[in-house]
Amino acid sequence: MLLSCTWLSELLGRPLDVSPPFDAGNPFSAVNIAARLTNLGLEVEGVEYFELPKIIVGRVDDVSPHPDAAKLNVVQLFDGARTIQVVCGASNLPPVGGKVAFAPVGAVLPDGLELSERELRGVVSNGMICSETELRIGSDGDGILVLPSDWEPGTLLQDLVPGIRDAVIEISVTPNRPDALGHLGVARDLALALGCELTLPPVSEVTTGEPMPTLVTLEAGDRCPRYLGYALEGCRVGPSPLWLRVRLHRVGLRPRNNVVDVTNFVLFETGQPMHAFDRQRLSGERVVVRQAAAGEPITTLDDTKLELDPDDLVIADAKTPQALAGIMGGEGSMVEAATTRLLLEVAFFEPRAIRRSARRYGLRTDSSHRFERQVDFAAQLELAAARAVSLLQQLSGARCVGHCDARAELPVPAQISLDPDHVGRLLGMDVSASEIARILQGLGVSVDRTNPQAWRCEPPSYRPDLGRDVDLIEEVMRHHGLDELPARHSSSPEELPVLPEDPLRALANALTDGLRACDLHEHVSLAFTAEEHTLPFVSEFQATQLVRPVNPMRSQQGCMRPHLLPGLLDAVAYNLGRHTRPLGLFEVGRVYLWPLTSDDAPDSGNPTDEVDRYLPTEPSRAAAIRAQRVSGDSPTGELARALTRDLSATLARVGLPAQLRAPTQPRPWLHPGVQVGLWIGDREVGVAGELHPDLLAGRDLGEFELGYGELWLEALPPLPTVQFQDVARFPATTRDLSLDLDTRISSAEVLAALTRAAESAAAPGDVQDPPRLANADEPRRPIELLEDYRGAGIESGRHALLLRLNYRAGQRSVTDAEVQALHDKVVAGALEQLTRVDPAARIR
Amino acid sequence: MAADANPTPQEQLDAALLGFESALPQVSSEAELYELQVRFLGKNGAVTKLRSLMGKVPPAQRKELGQAFNRVKQAIDDGLAGRKLALAEAARERNLSRHVDLTFVPDPPRPGTLHPITQTRRELEHVFRRLGFDVVDGPHVEAELYSFDKLNIQPDHPARDMQDTFFIARPEHDPREGAPSLVLRPHTSPVQARTMLRHGAPIRIIAPGTTFRRDDDPTHSPMFHQIEGLYVDRNVTMADLKATLYRFVGAFFGEGLAVRFRPSYFPFVEPGAEFDMQCAFCFDGQLSHGCGLCKQSGWIELGGSGMVHPAVLEQCGIDPSVYTGWAFGFGIDRMAMLRHGISHLRHNFEGDLRVLEQFTSP
Ligand SMILES: [Zn+2]
Repeated sequence: MLLSCTWLSELLGRPLDVSPPFDAGNPFSAVNIAARLTNLGLEVEGVEYFELPKIIVGRVDDVSPHPDAAKLNVVQLFDGARTIQVVCGASNLPPVGGKVAFAPVGAVLPDGLELSERELRGVVSNGMICSETELRIGSDGDGILVLPSDWEPGTLLQDLVPGIRDAVIEISVTPNRPDALGHLGVARDLALALGCELTLPPVSEVTTGEPMPTLVTLEAGDRCPRYLGYALEGCRVGPSPLWLRVRLHRVGLRPRNNVVDVTNFVLFETGQPMHAFDRQRLSGERVVVRQAAAGEPITTLDDTKLELDPDDLVIADAKTPQALAGIMGGEGSMVEAATTRLLLEVAFFEPRAIRRSARRYGLRTDSSHRFERQVDFAAQLELAAARAVSLLQQLSGARCVGHCDARAELPVPAQISLDPDHVGRLLGMDVSASEIARILQGLGVSVDRTNPQAWRCEPPSYRPDLGRDVDLIEEVMRHHGLDELPARHSSSPEELPVLPEDPLRALANALTDGLRACDLHEHVSLAFTAEEHTLPFVSEFQATQLVRPVNPMRSQQGCMRPHLLPGLLDAVAYNLGRHTRPLGLFEVGRVYLWPLTSDDAPDSGNPTDEVDRYLPTEPSRAAAIRAQRVSGDSPTGELARALTRDLSATLARVGLPAQLRAPTQPRPWLHPGVQVGLWIGDREVGVAGELHPDLLAGRDLGEFELGYGELWLEALPPLPTVQFQDVARFPATTRDLSLDLDTRISSAEVLAALTRAAESAAAPGDVQDPPRLANADEPRRPIELLEDYRGAGIESGRHALLLRLNYRAGQRSVTDAEVQALHDKVVAGALEQLTRVDPAARIR
Repeated sequence: MAADANPTPQEQLDAALLGFESALPQVSSEAELYELQVRFLGKNGAVTKLRSLMGKVPPAQRKELGQAFNRVKQAIDDGLAGRKLALAEAARERNLSRHVDLTFVPDPPRPGTLHPITQTRRELEHVFRRLGFDVVDGPHVEAELYSFDKLNIQPDHPARDMQDTFFIARPEHDPREGAPSLVLRPHTSPVQARTMLRHGAPIRIIAPGTTFRRDDDPTHSPMFHQIEGLYVDRNVTMADLKATLYRFVGAFFGEGLAVRFRPSYFPFVEPGAEFDMQCAFCFDGQLSHGCGLCKQSGWIELGGSGMVHPAVLEQCGIDPSVYTGWAFGFGIDRMAMLRHGISHLRHNFEGDLRVLEQFTSP
């Protein structure tokens, strides 16, 4: 909302200082007004200053064609003292005796151009005859500004037209302050803050003619509880006077004609929208306020053809809708040059329905903006109507011949009980009862202080936001100011509860730290993804499980991510296109999926279950990716290995060591031969591997090797607290073992075979405290994988696994012989199992 | 002469000593020294073996031979010890003569990093935990009921336009009726409603989390992060809010920075106010003189706040005639950008390695 300080000064009944530099001590300067507005909750976005210090009225004394340029004229202009020669190219130059806006040599135009004597095709021009746009007092740049012929030559234009010198303050008005959408409401706030008297807009004595009860019929109940209609005759439609055009221009409006300009002027003055119909073009010369029939057509002023909804409110004549009520007039009854008879509408419409209609058609107008925030239905409505009728009479010669005040049931003003002590209790500072009363009354609230602990307050009808005592307290706060508010803790007699920590949050933090410790970089990607990027995961969920915004901003953000991979891939692609460094990223966050069945909806006994059982699932994931360019013929699996190690190390770091073995189901988006599951006990908690070449080709990442892995937080056990185990006092005895095996036998299988063999080889009862394959109390595992060797000396398709087995007893040193006997049994037992799947399995 | 051909024990001892003395200078390591010791003094060493001669000499000579034996053994021991000392000295000399250029080391691996938003969120959580707040979060896909209605943002009210919201479609495979309308939460405030409904009053929480709005321009991202604070108790005042924000700003940005309120409107609070802090980036201990970050004003706008609207308390099952409360909220992303001097919002979500790897942290 743009505020003209000239306008405010009229309503405050005193001058405001609108041109810089300002006296910091002057509360009535534009900068201090702006600061004051911000402190009142009307946040200032900016202030712009306008003035035309040297532009004067010039009289055309002679016009002759330029000798050397067809489109130019040489004008002899009288500036009040002497005659000056000016070259002018405008086609609307007034005849001799006419008045124009003249910028003499030395004048500076608002765009910064300083005028000097100059030659135009051999003729000297001593200044410039200006247009509205050049002076920034209007938007008509087609020709020069022609002034009324009775204006005195030589007079400064800004002395003749109020509002040429002005400061325009832009404020952002929050939705609770419809009153501040007109200068009057802002002036009311300022008057109280600055200690001056509010001056209501002048209304000249006008006759409103005969009552014409048939002029308006209300058929929409509380959708339109009040409608003032005025019938005006003898209107002469034409351009508005300069002061009005300047005023509208200052607040960002384009002048149309005197009738429309008056309605807009009053709207910006009082905040009350209004509409003028060409009464001649209304069938039956009257209006009906009713709801639209389904599909009823209307063409609005901006030439949009709408098919209406029964929820829409319309102003119809005897036949068809002539306006979408409170939003926009219809093209069929708009005021035109030939219009002489008007029907002026000043009404109150139910806010929420106006908002529904405006949104339905995407029509946001100055009018709907105010109606949907609720305008006044009482004194201010009547004031606005009288102001408009008076201005129409003054500016267009229209006389009011009849009027109608149609009413249905009006909103009831709130009755608020206010305990004045509650003001201080809520704010935490003392505000005296008289100060509270002064502020509330200054804002138009009627205050009955009969009961000192329960004042009866009735807010004015132009403040629909005031409905409870806290609303009044806010008004007191706004006007009393918050500068004195102390920073003081309050004391409460109650013990605050300590809420349980969310274990998932702790786990997410721990995994974040763990992945970061693997020299990976944390990435945060937008939680949206393109549906096509979810296709690789079709085996894991169904398309209907995708969570989709109804109103996405773009198709690449068409659904919520069901997986962290697409976001990490986007980041990888972004980086690989910009630099050549190897890349390692991770992300910890939620993915979104509708559950397939609603039977397992949560029922935790919480009051939020009512809603929660309808929500999608938001499982948390921790995912990491590593990328580098493939150097040879095909990837080496190096990054998949690195990723697997990253995830294993991260889990080990948080005290949840995992085993690596085949995943429960192979992931089609991972390389079929390069993937592994991470298991804790019999629970799969994650998967890692190399991204499938087809997936990479689809992302134009074919030349790269990408390792990817993820952990599923909901599958992980809670973070454990480490339980101390005493360190072993007796050293372990180790035996190394080298096995020649088919490469399809994984290390995990070999480890499992050895572990099983060791379990059955133990001979309980034979010896007290026998040696075992065990090393749980040392950082080393009982079986360490030292090397996985392929190449010279090994047949192709086979590999040599070098393993180290640790044996120990609990409370004594073991002898070599004991260990050797056990080791032989373990190896024999393991080989027996392995030869079942690989008959050639042997010790090297 | 045959008897003479057999060397006497003394001669044998002398020969052994001679052998030792000629071998000793050849020794160049501790291992060789040990070998030499074994060769002469070990179980089967040349000198040890001569001990058996003791039994073969007449008893009268035994004492003399014993003494000779001990002298030889002593000589060997001394030789070994001396040589050991010399070897250690030489090794020390060699060691000390080394020179390593430590001005050159291979580039260390680049350390992993935490995203600046994560770092900032954690720091905020840390500060507020110290101030006695619990940390909670809620679903990102949230019912309109908790996102708006329970927060005093009525349907068809213009306050709904204060945030452009993503709506979520129901899944085709779920035929249940009566499902609530769902949105991507446009603010973290639904967590307030959920926590009050679940735990009642008194309560003191912060809710940091991911939020979504239909905004995408150089200063807005459709996904962003907010943190929200809520305190509901008996006697809670706006002055208490100011004290808390003051302590937070002091702990997060530095002591002594002032906090101010500007009246504003947020439907879930009444009275409502925006809060600013004195610019920490041009603060001289007393005044903030103005800089680029505060647009020369000396103040930085942080967020919105106010006293919880009694209608919100009622909606969330708390009696507003007994309890009052305050709430505040602000953007974590912007806080991260301020803290690290990040120039553009887009750096937050692109995942550019050259950006991310800068944010090392302890
Ligand atoms: Zn600054």
